[in-house]
Amino acid sequence: MKAFDYERPSTFEDACRILHAAGGSKKVLAGGTDLIVKTRHKVMAPEGVVSLKDVPGLSDISFDPEKGLFIGPMLRLSDVETADAVKTQYPALAAAVATIGSTQVRNRATIGGNICNAAPSADSPPILMAYGASVVIGDGKNEREVLLEDFFTGPGETVLRVGEIVKQIVVPAPPQNIFAIYIKAARSALDIALVGVALLAVFDPADRVVKDLKVALAAVAPTPVRSRQMERIVIGNKLDDTIIEKAVVESCTDACSITDIRTTEGYRDTLVETHTRQALEAARSWIEKGGVL
Amino acid sequence: MKGNIIGKRIPRIDSVPKATGTAEYTVDLKLPGMIYGKILRSPLPHARIKSLDVSAAEALPGVCAVITAADVPMGKFSFFQWLADKTIFSSDKVRYVGDEVAAVAAIDADTAEKAIELIQVDYDPLPAVFETEEAMTADAPLIHDQESNIGFKVERHFGDPDNAFESCDFVVEGCYKTDRVAHCCLEVSNCVASWTPEGRLSIWTNAQAPHTQRQEVARILEIPLQDVRIINSHMGGGFGSKLVMDMKLPIAAVLSKKTGRPVKIQNTRAEEFSTAKTRYGYTMYVKTGAKKDGTLQARTVRVIADNGAYHDKGPATLNFSSMMFATLYNIPNIHYEGMVVYTNKQMSTAFRGFGNPQLTFACEVQLDELAEKIGMDPVEIRRINANTPGQKLQCGAVVPTCGLRECIEVAAQNIAWKEKYNRKDKLRGVGVANMVHTAAGGRYYGYNATDSFIKVADDGTVSIVTPGLEMGQGVHTVVAMIVAEELGLDMKSVKVLSNDTDLTPYDLGSWGSRATFVVGNAALATAREARVVIIETAAKMLDTKPEFIDLENGMAVARGPGMPEKSVSMGKLAAYAINNMKAPISVKGQWADDIPEDWDIKTEFVKNVRSFAFATQTCEVEIDKDTGEVKVLKFVAAHETGTTMNEMLAEGQIEGAVMQGIGFTLMESMTLDNGRVVNDGFLDYKLPTFGEQPEIDVQLIETGDPHGPYGAKGIGEAGLVPTAAALANAIYNASGIRVTELPITREFMLNALREK
Amino acid sequence: MKRELNITINGQPYNLFVSTHRTLLEVIRDDLDLTGTKVGCEMGECGACTVIMDGRTVNSCLVLAHEAEGCEVQTIEDLTEDGKLHPIQESFVEHGAIQCGFCTSGMIMSTKGLLEKNPNPGEDEIRSEMRGNLCRCTGYVKIVEAIEAVRDGGDK
Ligand SMILES: Cc1cc2nc3c(=O)[nH]c(=O)nc-3n(C[C@H](O)[C@H](O)[C@H](O)COP(=O)(O)OP(=O)(O)OC[C@H]3O[C@@H](n4cnc5c(N)ncnc54)[C@H](O)[C@@H]3O)c2cc1C
Ligand code: FES
Ligand code: FES
Repeated sequence: MKAFDYERPSTFEDACRILHAAGGSKKVLAGGTDLIVKTRHKVMAPEGVVSLKDVPGLSDISFDPEKGLFIGPMLRLSDVETADAVKTQYPALAAAVATIGSTQVRNRATIGGNICNAAPSADSPPILMAYGASVVIGDGKNEREVLLEDFFTGPGETVLRVGEIVKQIVVPAPPQNIFAIYIKAARSALDIALVGVALLAVFDPADRVVKDLKVALAAVAPTPVRSRQMERIVIGNKLDDTIIEKAVVESCTDACSITDIRTTEGYRDTLVETHTRQALEAARSWIEKGGVL
Repeated sequence: MKGNIIGKRIPRIDSVPKATGTAEYTVDLKLPGMIYGKILRSPLPHARIKSLDVSAAEALPGVCAVITAADVPMGKFSFFQWLADKTIFSSDKVRYVGDEVAAVAAIDADTAEKAIELIQVDYDPLPAVFETEEAMTADAPLIHDQESNIGFKVERHFGDPDNAFESCDFVVEGCYKTDRVAHCCLEVSNCVASWTPEGRLSIWTNAQAPHTQRQEVARILEIPLQDVRIINSHMGGGFGSKLVMDMKLPIAAVLSKKTGRPVKIQNTRAEEFSTAKTRYGYTMYVKTGAKKDGTLQARTVRVIADNGAYHDKGPATLNFSSMMFATLYNIPNIHYEGMVVYTNKQMSTAFRGFGNPQLTFACEVQLDELAEKIGMDPVEIRRINANTPGQKLQCGAVVPTCGLRECIEVAAQNIAWKEKYNRKDKLRGVGVANMVHTAAGGRYYGYNATDSFIKVADDGTVSIVTPGLEMGQGVHTVVAMIVAEELGLDMKSVKVLSNDTDLTPYDLGSWGSRATFVVGNAALATAREARVVIIETAAKMLDTKPEFIDLENGMAVARGPGMPEKSVSMGKLAAYAINNMKAPISVKGQWADDIPEDWDIKTEFVKNVRSFAFATQTCEVEIDKDTGEVKVLKFVAAHETGTTMNEMLAEGQIEGAVMQGIGFTLMESMTLDNGRVVNDGFLDYKLPTFGEQPEIDVQLIETGDPHGPYGAKGIGEAGLVPTAAALANAIYNASGIRVTELPITREFMLNALREK
Repeated sequence: MKRELNITINGQPYNLFVSTHRTLLEVIRDDLDLTGTKVGCEMGECGACTVIMDGRTVNSCLVLAHEAEGCEVQTIEDLTEDGKLHPIQESFVEHGAIQCGFCTSGMIMSTKGLLEKNPNPGEDEIRSEMRGNLCRCTGYVKIVEAIEAVRDGGDK
């Protein structure tokens, strides 16, 4: 592997300062599971890496029933998956994270890394988008909060400017009466998503009408994308056969799948339809049973 | 057979070192002063080399040597020297992405990699060809200076297929294809080369056939054979990938010579995927005819094998599959035509089954098509045509023992064939396939024999020097078991010494399911020699006759009519032999396959195989109608073992092979972009994981064998030979979709389901 | 560039001077000659390099050595006690879960990580938790049996 420098600042400000001074030639190092692979593959050749290991507080997680969930970017995926608040309040996030890589990978990889790596196929962003998550970005002086769905600008590209680091992931408190699910299509038990479908439905238990719906897709566009056309069809309606069929027909409208080494555009679209239908069916039966399995 | 040791579930003798991480593999080897080599490989599939400039690489600090075609012997090489077509480095043109162009040695791997990037090569791209049938057309670019890209051809003919087809009630024809797949040994290919001051070359590597690779290294480097020594360590997988010398060996040798230091060259995983040899991809045009009653009358095939850019085991692979083709079911009229065709891709080589998995896929799928046409159950047509013990085949081969009928019955029963085959509910189905495979390697070297040596130490332990090449299949354990069985010892008292061509007797290596058979037979012969000497010694010591002596529990025990039982330990006995008889116990034993002297391999290829092993596999699958995913629910693998030497090892061979077969059928494929392998890691080259493993019910059928040790047959390769066909047939039963091409992707299945 | 690295491996504290881009795997294997930990891909995809770092299994090929500063790392070499095999090692041996053995160190370390997290995993959990460890030889059957046997506290 090509040599690079390594720095391990002990404050957030220092980390930002180093990154800023390097003008983009140094990279944040979180768990390294993407960064090392890319460097070894020569897709990336950083002059140096800035480890966040010693920056305090970046692995915290807390939940407030009003304000929601606050996750430090350095929290390992295996800790996200097993955190009580995640398991009880955001079970679909726990499930999505559990599909990532292997135990060993999740023991190192961080949630911040999974987001900032900005792979179109990453498994946590779609479900986080469905939950309405945003990220808090800091540069050592100022902070800004960006909705996750506005965060990605292309494969491996985000709104992050040189010297900025994601400081926190904020997931709003889940409303009452919701159903959320993440479905990943993969070729084997250890795989990158061919497509991922995240869905969150808020419903009225009395009349079973879907009041709000967010669907976000992985691996079908240069960034994770919301399936807005489809959402519009469902919102305000009950999930019956007709609505589900209409929604499925529109499930790919906001996608622009491509053919790559993993599969073809056509198959991706089919998988989106299939798994969107599955997700909607699951939502329907959940709603019909009054929100219990 | 159940002996004290043979037939038992005995743990491997190398499992403790492996479980504790103390077993040393070649990748673990570090010699004093060792430096690191790296090969510059062609980035283009077909191109002329216009110029090459290594000066920047040479100038890089830490670089010890840079070599190109100018620094190495440039005689052409191939496994079959009469097909020689490859030099150590390409000097004029490159023929695949990965072709060796130059190499460096440096003080560490990072520096070597940096140096490689500094070598300037100017290429003139040539049109490239990647598909065999395209490569066979008149206007295809020629890869070598030959009239066509067809590199080798073989034809075999028995009976009169043309006439026979005329008289058949049913005939089916079709084209079948299998893809090139990678061995994916977990230990990458690597070696360390070093010269003694006297000018002798030692190469540590993971070789499946060290003695023949030794010859290959001497041949390509144009140095005397006695100057080459190959040393094996534990080996992280072979499966056929390490039979023929890799160019790393001579390259490391030259770098070492030039620098006077040991040189290690090790593939990266990506390099391994894109340059290590693959299984031969076969395109097969098959035609089969039968009578109304299901008896097979005639079969013809035209095999086009994808050679890649250079020759390797192609002729052996084609020849071997031709023989299995002519053996299974004893079809009276056969025509086989096979050829290897050059393409601008990485080379192909042997991979567990030597072409037989490919051809068995085609033939056993076609047999189902035929059965359907006749209106016959697939199990029934296989029963009707099954080979039988003692059968003399139309093609000339003889099948001394055969358990195919038993295999069919147990495989059908354990998958609940009757009930499941006719069930027409959701997308679930069962499939069956038979196979025959060599149980004893091949004779095509004209030599199929080996020796071993035994010595008894004065502490009572017995050491056997064997050429048996351990690559994970368990041959060292089997050899130790044979010695322990014959000499009445426990496993701890037997040591197996191997792995060094200076030490071990000549042998052809581990391939063709031959190790237990050939090396095992030699071990048995040696142990029996030792037994005689030990018993004679004991008789002297205990003052009795040899016929009263038995060897058990590490003791020689004398029991006879009217005499008190007397015994002596193996250690005392050995000491007695040394001190009192001045004759330390050490013996040699040999086994030689009695190849007929007038055997002409060209006309009588069928005699290539000494013993056959038959098998039947059945399986159940379920297809997801929405994604096309084929879920394998269960496999039954009923395999003839002759005699099961060690149930646990035999099961392990078959389970592992079935999983490789599942990968071959449903998941594995090299994806190319202008000749470059793009799925060069385990995330995108899909290898079966824990998640894809179905229940595998292994049934071992003991039928004995007149030549195998204790009647054993080799079973190393058989496990994946029928797997693809069984799966494809189950898919048909589940969905009505006839699959003729591997791998069977989800996407293919889904499209096919939608078209229906 | 090199810098100082303090790390504890198999209970032994080390004070090393290591290049900043090197991985934990390289330090373990190349600098400390603890070659029981294997290298199969260097991309986190095969699991052969699995070690336990501060109580969790990781792919040592994906951990920069300096990221292990102050950490406790355990490798396969540390499992035997007084020459006695660890029950997981014992079970792999007894159940024929080893063929070429190249995946074995990683498999055993992953099993250890799994059983420490959950001493009673079901078959599905075993398969899911172990999915980052590839084996080309055994077809996994006997490895699962070996793990289940350890879970069940004795021979099946
Ligand atoms: C074998 C294997 C399997 C995998 N399978 C999956 C899978 O199934 N699904 C999936 O989604 N991913 C998968 N991955 C990818 C990877 O593990 C994840 O993307 C992981 O979450 C990245 O986190 P990390 O902490 O390792 O990131 P790093 O590699 O440390 O960083 C990734 C990128 O994000 C930047 N970065 C990290 N943190 C911050 C921050 N706080 N602020 C700003 N920039 C930051 C880094 O500079 C770098 O560019 C797999 C990887 C491997 C090796
Ligand atoms: S070597 Fe680390 S996962 Fe393969
Ligand atoms: S035993 Fe060889 S890879 Fe697992």
